[in-house]
Parts: sequence; C-alpha cells; structure tokens
Amino acid sequence: MAITLLSVAITISQAILGAIGSVFPPPIRGAVTNGNTIDGLAALIFAAILLLASMLNTIVLIWWERKLLGRFMDRRGAMHVGYAGLLQNFADGLKLFRKDTVKPREADTLGFWSGPTAYMVTSLIIFAILPISTGWNSGSLPLSLLLALAVFSFAPLFIFVSAWSSNNKYSLIGGMRSAAQMIAYEVPILLAVVAVVLVSGSFDLQTIVLEQTNYWYWVPLFLALVVFVAGMLAEMERIPFDLPEAEAELVEGWNTEYGGMMFAFFMLTDYLRALLGSFLIVLLFLGGWTMPSWVPAAATSFPLAGIFWFMLKVYIVFTIFVWIRASLPRVRTDQLLRVGWNRMIPLALLSVVLAALLVTVKCLPVLGCIPTLGG
Amino acid sequence: MSEMWINMGPQHPMTHGLWNLRVHIDGEMVLDVDPEMGYLHRGIEKISEDRHYNEVVTLMDRCCYVAGLAWEHLYILSAEQALAIRPPERAEWIRMMSEEFQRLGSHIMWYAAFVQDIGLMSPFLYGMRDRDLILDLFQSYTGARMTYEYMRVGGVRNDLPNGFTDRARKVCDWLIDRFVEYDRLCLGSDIFHKRCDGLGTMSEKDCVAYGVTGPMLRSAGSRRDLRKDRPYSAYDRVEFDVATADGADVTARYLVRMEEMRQSVRIIRQALDWLDRHPGPVMAARVPRWLGAPYAPIGNEGYLLKRNYPKGLGLSAIEEPHGEAQAYTVNDGGEHPYRVKFRSPVFANISAAKKYLVGYRVADIPPIMGSVDVCVGECDR
Amino acid sequence: MEAEFSAQVSARLGDRVAGIESFPGTLGRVRFRADAALDVFRSMRDDLAFDHLSMVGGIDWVDHREAFYVLWSDARRAYVILSADLPAQNPHIESATSIWPSANWHERETWELVDIHFDHHPDLRHLLMPDGYAFHPLLRSFKLHEPEELEVKTRNV
Repeated sequence: MAITLLSVAITISQAILGAIGSVFPPPIRGAVTNGNTIDGLAALIFAAILLLASMLNTIVLIWWERKLLGRFMDRRGAMHVGYAGLLQNFADGLKLFRKDTVKPREADTLGFWSGPTAYMVTSLIIFAILPISTGWNSGSLPLSLLLALAVFSFAPLFIFVSAWSSNNKYSLIGGMRSAAQMIAYEVPILLAVVAVVLVSGSFDLQTIVLEQTNYWYWVPLFLALVVFVAGMLAEMERIPFDLPEAEAELVEGWNTEYGGMMFAFFMLTDYLRALLGSFLIVLLFLGGWTMPSWVPAAATSFPLAGIFWFMLKVYIVFTIFVWIRASLPRVRTDQLLRVGWNRMIPLALLSVVLAALLVTVKCLPVLGCIPTLGG
Repeated sequence: MSEMWINMGPQHPMTHGLWNLRVHIDGEMVLDVDPEMGYLHRGIEKISEDRHYNEVVTLMDRCCYVAGLAWEHLYILSAEQALAIRPPERAEWIRMMSEEFQRLGSHIMWYAAFVQDIGLMSPFLYGMRDRDLILDLFQSYTGARMTYEYMRVGGVRNDLPNGFTDRARKVCDWLIDRFVEYDRLCLGSDIFHKRCDGLGTMSEKDCVAYGVTGPMLRSAGSRRDLRKDRPYSAYDRVEFDVATADGADVTARYLVRMEEMRQSVRIIRQALDWLDRHPGPVMAARVPRWLGAPYAPIGNEGYLLKRNYPKGLGLSAIEEPHGEAQAYTVNDGGEHPYRVKFRSPVFANISAAKKYLVGYRVADIPPIMGSVDVCVGECDR
Repeated sequence: MEAEFSAQVSARLGDRVAGIESFPGTLGRVRFRADAALDVFRSMRDDLAFDHLSMVGGIDWVDHREAFYVLWSDARRAYVILSADLPAQNPHIESATSIWPSANWHERETWELVDIHFDHHPDLRHLLMPDGYAFHPLLRSFKLHEPEELEVKTRNV
C-alpha cells in the first residue's frame, strides 16, 4: 500500500503516544496507546498538516501573484523581505495580526465576528476533500465532488452575513452583488460538472482523475471547461468579475468595515478560494496528478511526483488567472448577471448535451474511439 | 433595497481628490446626485491679495497639482496684462512648450486613474512610468517635479539647460509609441467598450449651457479650443489639429484626450525646433524692481500700501488640460494684486454632474467621473 | 470689431448700459445697471449670441462692490466682460441661472466669498465653506493677518 497522508499521521500519532505512554505505568499506558486515542490524535495531526500545507501554499500563491502582477506592470513586485520578497506576505500578515480590529458600534456582533471566520473555515474544509495525489487524502469518498462543491457554495451566505451585519451601505451593496453573482454562476458551474460526471461516470474525484489517465477531459469537454473557468472566475471574485469588492465604486465592497486580522481572513480566504478553484480545474479537466504517457517514466515516478505535477498544473492555471487580472477591465453587475443567466447557462446545457452524445458514441473525431467512456 | 443616499467621498477611490459626491440611489440606479465641494479650499484667491505678483505663482502650483505649469501660465498671462509687461519671445515659446508637456503629464495621469476606475490594473502603472519621464524633464529645467515656481511676470525664471531639447525629443518619441499601447489596452478590449460606450452622455447644447469645457465639450462634437480660437503665447505659430469626437460619452472623451496627447507631442516638437534656432533672453528687460523683491515693506496698513504704478485689469484664458481656465487680475496700482479670480474648468464640469450622472448605475459613476478628469485642487482653489 | 460690438450693445440695451470700456483681448467691458440685470443677460444671450457664461465673480471695492461676468460667444469667437456696480450695503443682483445654468455654482461661490446676494437663485447654499459659516472671506474687512503678526514679517529692504 502506498504511503498516504493519513498513514503518515497515524505513524506520527503512534510515535508521540508511545513516547508519552512509556512514561506511565501500564493501566494508563494502555488507555493512552489504544486505537481510538491514536486515531483521534492522527486526525488532528492530519488536519494540522493540511492546514499548514494549504496556508503555506496560499501565501506562496499570493507572493506569486504579486511578483507576476509586478512583472506585468513593468515593475518588480515585492523585493525586500526575504529572497525576492518571499517573506513579504509573512511580514504583512504579522502587521495585520498586530492591528486592532475595530467593530462599528452599530454593527451586529455575532454576524460581524462569525462571518469572516465561517467564510474561512468552510473554504479550508474543502482541502480535506480534494485529492492532490493518490497518497494525499484519507481515502475515496464516493461523492467527494458533490461535497466539495456544496461546501464551496456556502461562501455567499457568509459574505452576505458579514456584509449585512457590518451596517454599512457599501458593504450591503457589495454583499447583495456578491450573493447575486455567486448564485448566478453556481448554476453553470454545476452544469459543467455534470458534463464531467457524465463522461467519467463517477462523483468521486479520485476516480475522475484516474479516468483521465489516457486523455484529459479538456479536449473532449472544451466547452464545459470554458464555462467552468468563467464561472470559477466569478466565484473567486477576481477581475473581470470582482464587482462585489469593486474598489473604484464600492471601496472593497463587503469587507469595507473589516480591519486587522478579520481583513486578513477575507484576503487569505479569497486566495484560498482561488487555489481551490485552480485545484478543481486541474482535477476535473487537466488530469489531476496524472501525466500523459509520452512523459518519460523517470519524470513521473520520483517520490511525491504526483504532488509535484499537480501543483505545477495548479500554478499554471493560476498564472493564467493573474494574466487575465492584469489585462482586463471589470464588467458591470447587470452585464455580469446577464452573461451568467443568458449565455453561460445555455452554453453549459450545450456542453452537457455534447457530453451525453460523447458517452453514447464513445468516439471523437481526432482522438478515435475510447471504450472506457461513461465509466 | 429601498432608496437611500450614499456618500461617495470625501475618502473614496472614485473621487481622485477630496470631495464628496452624495448619490441618491435606488438599488443600483442613480436617482440624484449632489456634489459637495470645499474640502480642499485653501483660499488661494484671498492669499493672493496678500502676496506680490510673483509670489502668487507659488500658489498656482498648488492649484492643480498635476498641471502646475499650466496654471502658472494662466496666472502669469493675466498678471502681465494687468501690469502691461510683455515677455520676450523665447519665454513665450518655453511657456507654451511647458504647458504642452504639462498637458501630456496631466492626460497621462488621467489615463492612469481612469483605467484604474474601470478595473484595468496594469495601465495605471504604465501611465505612472511614462509620466515620470515628463517629470524628469521638468526637474531638469525648473528644479522641481511637482511645484515648479518657474514662471515670472515678464518671462520665466531661467533658460533651458544644455541638451534639453534632445532629451525632450527622446521622451516625445517614446511617448508616441506608448500611446499605441494605451489604445490597444483600452480600445482593444470588448469589456472596455461595454463599460464605456454610451455612458455619461452630454450634448453640445447642454455642455455650453452648463459651462462644460475642454475634452468633455470637444467629445460632443464642438471644435472649441482656445489655443485655436483665441491664440495666446505662440499657439498661432504652430500647427496642430483640434481633437474632437462625436459620441459625447466616456469613450469619446477617451478618444479626444488620446488625440490631444498626440497633438501635444506635435506642438512640442515644433516648439523644440524653434527653441533650438532662437537663443535669446527669457526675461523682459524692463520689469519693475519691486516685482522681484521677496519681502517689500508691508507696514501696518497691510495691503493698502500703494505704489505709483499704472492701474490695469487682466483677463487671461487658456486651454488647460481639463478645459477652459480663466484668470481675472485687478491691479489697483499696489504691489499686491487687488483681486485675483480664477475660473476652474473642473469647477464648472462638476457643477453639471446631475446632467451626466443621473439615470446611470452606481457602477457607472467611476468611469463617468473618471472621464470628467477631476482635479479638486483647482476646483476648490 | 469692438466698435461694431459697442454699437450693437448700445442699440439693444440703450440706457441699461452705463458705459463700454475697451479691454484688450476681449470685445470690451460692458458696465450695466444692476436693476436691469436680467434684461442685459437675456439680450446678451439671445441677441448678441453670447451663449457661454464662463465666470462670475465679485470684487469688494470697500465703498462699493462689483459683480462681473465673463461671457464667450462661439459665433464671434470672443470674450466680453459684463460688470455691475452694487452698493456696499445689502448688495444684490438678479441671478443669471435662468439664462445660463452654468451660473449656478459661480453665484453660490460669489455669494459666500464676496457677500453679493443673487435674487431668485434656485439653490443659494454654501459651496466651498462649511454650512453655517458666518464670514465672507474675500471681503477686504476679512484680514489675513492681525497687525502684531505683520510686524514679525516687516523688514526694511
């Protein structure tokens, strides 16, 4: 059996509990080292590793975006803290951490504090669901794709809660826009996913990736990819779809009233979601951690090769997002919603029909016939 | 969502300065607007009454912080008329070249801020990068990058340094190439057209009635440009075209400003050629001595101290980057101007805000106000 | 051109005009009687084609006040200056807003800075100064310095 993250966590847990248990006499030692305790601690360690990995990744992602945006803008980006500014984000985080978080007097306490927290937590949960390589997550959930998307779509609720409870007109308008936008783009995203599910025949992300070993879905399901990427841009609220926090008119929209660590939560979660969006695109359309057969075996068999290739793809996808951000203006709310309801949904439906056709015919014009289509 | 008033400003990214646009909205629709000015009012007209003619130039730089030399030019023209002093020819050409460079600087600054308003991030820094070259040029002959204090009644403070014209030509060549990039970034994008076409329209008739001038008026099809209609300095001796467009909307204003920048480069090139061929004095030979004195005795009677100098009135009007600016200087024979009154084009352009904002969406306010090119310093004075 | 213009003005406005002075760079400085302001404005716009009001301002001459208007005509491609003398006590003149909407803000500004009241102005509020500001800064009686402050600056040259 391959080494999985959970087995690593269990080994660490056993080692720690064994060391603690050896100090105590046998009755207590038995209680400390029994299976339930080990599993419990292992779950915590598993979560801690995930949290650390996703946070580190997010921070590197922010650094990458800053450097890349800098280059697009003919400047250098962060340069001074750490090598090429790698530690700049840690410095920024530390600064935000030290700052006082001010709550407006008239704001609703519960909503004001719980909104950003829940927004961040629900986004973090998804990292436990998404498989990064065969050895990464705990095991295959039969409906992991559905679960991931369900948790992903919590966000508008929490954004709206924090916007409404901060008792600011700009926040309210931003929250409204955000809710409208996310709901409008949830539908085409789900329809695009339906196309993937039809072709792969499974809701399990692990299976979907393994189905793509021979060919990646972006070729046969190109329309679904386009719909999914556009929808994800809207879900991630990045330019050209960053209206809820449109800086020029709404002053950061729904997070106007947040400062200090709460603002950092929002900022971090935005990038967490950008990372998640890139993960989903890679998993559903770009073959996850698998590589085509013409790649030499040596390049795919070194330790952690799956994670390496997966993250490489994720960063390439994210780079494209940054590129879009650096070169496009922002659209207007009504235009965005009109495109969402009037254009994206028909396109998504069309992609579903194409996928169904593909499953029935099992043949592609160029790639030839694929007997395994449809699971 | 019910109707409500929101304050866009005084601290708001849309304002590009310090003013407050009160907006009455119903959902995303704008029902009414009420601009509130005065946050940057420093009483420049009042302070001018207590300054020597040349000292007012210092205040002019603070009037519009992105077009300081244009405002210096405006004031100096009216002060010279009031004092009946004529500058030498070379000084007029230098002033004209300065004003055109200032127009370039101001329009590039406008471009940077405007594209930022509609969410385009990179061109903002392209604009800043290119404007820096113009500031470098200003620094090389005025000594400052923002508050120049360069023009004087009767001429300019000093001549251009050696090699200036070659450096300036290089900057012109660089900028002309960059304008192509600017256009491709904006006009080449469908989203830009979706955001800007047909927005904030104001017909020529309305523009004239509400005193709207400059690129906003020319975007409505008018050919009104004071540099052509009422030439000052040496504008009647250079060739250039008046930039116009038909749409009267945000895109049309964009086109007008881009074309104006190209025309400015054209004027600057002609001015540089002339300056190369015609060395000479840059200060009038006969200027009253007290004009140059930093602190003449004021005495307890304050500004009522009179010198025996001919009285006069001066009205100057220039095509400032934002529109038509005027200065009215009253010389009562004293050593301070008795009254200086400025007309700021931005002041008039903002006063018509109801005409071009009502009926559009909240999201349209930044591009529309961006296309107006607000400079609050000169509006509040 | 200037002579022709002053003939036109005299023909249209007659005794409502107190005099026309020459002013370099413009068609002239027309001094009119304040009580006939609206007639003068209307005739300037409709008959003499001055469709553009550029600037309204006021001057405090201590013994009296002056309101001046700078007009531009697209047809003539020239400026003209209108000027009316007002009494120092309770100076007021008819608002030009009904003729040129652009007068709105200029008159608000002139009212709050030079204390010239514009009758029938639709919206005579403070513009540059805070609401309720009791002073009119551009009056000569509004001193920038107190005398003792001035002494510090005084220096013999």
